[in-house]
Amino acid sequence: MQRRARPLLGTLVEIGAPLGHEAAFDAVAELQARLSRFEPGSDIARFNALPAGGALRVGALATEVLTAARRLQIDSEGLFDISLGSGPDAWRLDGDRLRKLAAGVVLDLGGIAKGQAVDVAVRALQDAGAAAGWVNAGGDLRVFGELELPIRLRDEAGGGVREFARLADGAFATSHYGLGTSSATTRAVQAHISVVAPLCLWADALTKVVALSGDCGHPLLARYDAAAWRHDVPRFA
Amino acid sequence: MMRLTLAPAALVALAPASAFAANYLSPEQAAKLMFPDADRFDMQTLLPAGSSRPLGVRIAKKGDAVLGYLVLDDVIGKVELISYAVGVATDGSVKQVEILAYRESHGGEIRLPAWRKQFIGKTAAAPLRIGEDIANISGATLSCTHVTDGVRRIVAALSAARRAGTLG
Repeated sequence: MQRRARPLLGTLVEIGAPLGHEAAFDAVAELQARLSRFEPGSDIARFNALPAGGALRVGALATEVLTAARRLQIDSEGLFDISLGSGPDAWRLDGDRLRKLAAGVVLDLGGIAKGQAVDVAVRALQDAGAAAGWVNAGGDLRVFGELELPIRLRDEAGGGVREFARLADGAFATSHYGLGTSSATTRAVQAHISVVAPLCLWADALTKVVALSGDCGHPLLARYDAAAWRHDVPRFA
Repeated sequence: MMRLTLAPAALVALAPASAFAANYLSPEQAAKLMFPDADRFDMQTLLPAGSSRPLGVRIAKKGDAVLGYLVLDDVIGKVELISYAVGVATDGSVKQVEILAYRESHGGEIRLPAWRKQFIGKTAAAPLRIGEDIANISGATLSCTHVTDGVRRIVAALSAARRAGTLG
């Protein structure tokens, strides 16, 4: 099992596998180029620059993640929203055509694409012939094959890590319970939401649904074979 | 079949946070990975304008031909120390960035020179114990801002040296 890490997706992406690292890193880099709103040539940046009524043809990575995002938006009754309030129903995907229905709607896949990137990297490893391995994009991780990975949580406030669980054949993602997203922020804690799910795309996206609803028992979790935890970390310093 | 086994709750809540580290590549491995055709690396030290920190550059060569440049650097975050290698092509573009080692400790500790010193120069030889894995760390904000800033600084320093004609 060889481990390598590169700075990608604004974080460190670590890959542990017997082979296929290069292909997997390339797949993550391609996803970043295609989906990041900060990359001027990406499908998302080009959509954001469109005038109202405009449309563009997007790639397979975009159709995959946009389809998942729409499904989650509907299932969560609007809690999950990649337009971040700029126009939840003002974008539409017809096949590979992405349409902008109103001016001002911009998309940001920050809440779901990191998870998708992990899944895409896992696919690349498997295509390269890796029977087991893991991919960890700054805490959004997935493990596959005959392998059990100990999971530890970073203490964002004080540094260091704590034992949390062991995971086999699944994905695990953690998100910050951000300022302004819940009443919990009025207390002197910083909280994190972790979600376990079969695919990292769902684990990543569902942390947002849980954080925004404040409900670790959100009914959506069961539908995606997922479960959630909230960690309150006392704020020192 | 997905399987998650939770650690006992008391362990999560009460166990003291521990430090961890991961080694990925030695400088030699990174050099070979980025410049597989190089038959030697000439060392050169640059002192970037406005910086007190000298920059060690390994010039990848095959015969007399320069294939590119390799620079090793460390960056320090709030609780982490990251060693990385940047491969730069002869036209000045970034060829590849590889993380060599990652270490994290409790806040504060990492700012102490003594704590930091124990890692310096050890990236190549010191294999880490099993269980000290970044692989299994999940957290909300593991940023690589310091690395991207570092890469930018290195690329700028190399470009300046090239323009000034001081780069071998």
